[in-house]
Amino acid sequence: MRNRRVYFGAAIAVILLFLLPQFLPEIYVHRVTEILIYALFAVSFNLLFGYAGLLPFGHAALFGVGAYVSALIFKHYPSTPLLLTFVIATFSGMVPGLVIGFFSVRLKGAYFALITLAFQMFLFAVALRWRSLTYGDDGMGVTRPDLHLFALGSISMRSIENVYYLTLVLVAIGILACYLFLKTPLGNSVVCVRERDMRASFLGYNVFLTRYAVYLFSGLLASLAGALFVFFQEFVATSSVDINMSMTCVFMAVIGGTANFLGPVLGAAFYLMFQDWISSLTKHWWIVLGICFVLIVQYVQGGLISLFTTERVRLLVSRWRR
Amino acid sequence: MSLPIEIYLMQSMHGLVYGMLIFLVASGLTVVLGMMGVLNIAHAAFYMLGAYFAYSVTVYLGNFWASLLISPLIVGALSLLMERFLLRGTYRGGHLLQLLLTFGIFFILGELVRILWGTNSFNVPVPRLFAGDIPFMGMAYPLYRLFILGFSFFVLIGIALILSRTRIGIIIRAAVSDSDMVDVLGINIPAVFSGVFAGGAVLAALAGVIAAPFISVYSGMGLDALNDCFVVIVVGGFGSLWGALIASLMIGQLKSLGILWIPKLAIVFEFLLMAVVLIVKPTGLFGEKE
Repeated sequence: MRNRRVYFGAAIAVILLFLLPQFLPEIYVHRVTEILIYALFAVSFNLLFGYAGLLPFGHAALFGVGAYVSALIFKHYPSTPLLLTFVIATFSGMVPGLVIGFFSVRLKGAYFALITLAFQMFLFAVALRWRSLTYGDDGMGVTRPDLHLFALGSISMRSIENVYYLTLVLVAIGILACYLFLKTPLGNSVVCVRERDMRASFLGYNVFLTRYAVYLFSGLLASLAGALFVFFQEFVATSSVDINMSMTCVFMAVIGGTANFLGPVLGAAFYLMFQDWISSLTKHWWIVLGICFVLIVQYVQGGLISLFTTERVRLLVSRWRR
Repeated sequence: MSLPIEIYLMQSMHGLVYGMLIFLVASGLTVVLGMMGVLNIAHAAFYMLGAYFAYSVTVYLGNFWASLLISPLIVGALSLLMERFLLRGTYRGGHLLQLLLTFGIFFILGELVRILWGTNSFNVPVPRLFAGDIPFMGMAYPLYRLFILGFSFFVLIGIALILSRTRIGIIIRAAVSDSDMVDVLGINIPAVFSGVFAGGAVLAALAGVIAAPFISVYSGMGLDALNDCFVVIVVGGFGSLWGALIASLMIGQLKSLGILWIPKLAIVFEFLLMAVVLIVKPTGLFGEKE
């Protein structure tokens, strides 16, 4: 019953998202593309935070590697097939993921948060100082190559509509892969290890390998999001490996709700739209965000999505009837 | 290229001063962490607020020494409010919740500073008593830096004496090792928590005040200090005061000598140090608890 509802909802969402560019002005298509990319990033963060119980404060490290690798390919090897670039950029997240994960997943709580943050700061420093490769904080502009599909000919990526569709497909693949990952035995053991790692290890689960695997998988998704981000913006700078980027996914996931698989998606959409709205009213957007964040951590720990869950609706209805 | 030995000594001295400054900030952080299990990210914002209040008080009263008294008091009061009304409700909610909460507060305080004082950086004049240089190894050395060194050394001795020689210190050390047991023995643990939290904030604010004439007051100073503090408490071990001292001094030397050695990569060194320590001993040099 529940499954059928989920599939039904997902189908409607996908159809709506596919029809979106037909009736939305271009500027909003831009915004929705951005939301999709951040949604993937926030989902990959929440795979660690919500499901594995690990709070990475430096998740932008993996996002940034995907961003820089794809930017370098776009710039220096423009003839590389677009989809191959995405595959390379996605798997390039494995390289720092293997190193960072190896040292960080042995630890929990604040240790884990700090160590991932330190590695992110390290990569930030490298991106800032290695100017001959990355152009430091000036950043580098790249050009979006066209998508060549063998039978269908080539699709121009100059129109935002096509960019939107490609992003939608790749983000959907990423989020679906994450969803399916959590349904596998490995995905279940991730939650088991989160609940009580010692008991899980007595039962024969390898706590280290389980956490390592989920960290690597999350890194793949974050790198894909980074690559899409560069593809969409046609620009990369140190801002995609800095601490603000790491904070952004924490904010999005927590505001949306970390106990629900789709919470971070809602969070990303809310965050970006709310940012637009508040920025049009005041220039102190960050303080409004900070206050919202503290209020949610204090009072609505399930995040915004918990306001929409069936139990909550039922509770409201019963209160209203009384 | 070889530089004269005096340059190295000078830089090393500079590193010592900076290291002691970082220790003042990190000491409060590490004691709160060891005792309450709260990694207070907003701690670095206390340091920044200390420096900004120092600037304002110096401008309005024209007296640096007044700010050394007033600024920590304001920040301490602020931290008490924060502990009582925001943090206390989350002690039962798990450490990740507190991380998120203090992270949000760090953000709010940082932004408030930018709203109240703007984004310009300010210079706080060095107090007249310690203006000028003294001869040192054939060069002139700013007297104020020696004051920082002396002051932070004085504070260090103070903390060490309080922790090891007074009744409060015994309670704090006992609470670090097992706060539930201390609670059962009839000691008001929430009050001790509040006091230690405010004490840590006062230390951070003191560091901010004495840092203000040394490294100017700017809106990114909280984040810079946060980075160094994180490295210090990870390298020194969570909750270890002596670990924090040794790690701070190491960071100071690494930063100041690293700039001479490979200037471009100086900011990378401290993270390398942290990585090495974590590989060899994941709980830090003096840390015991996981």
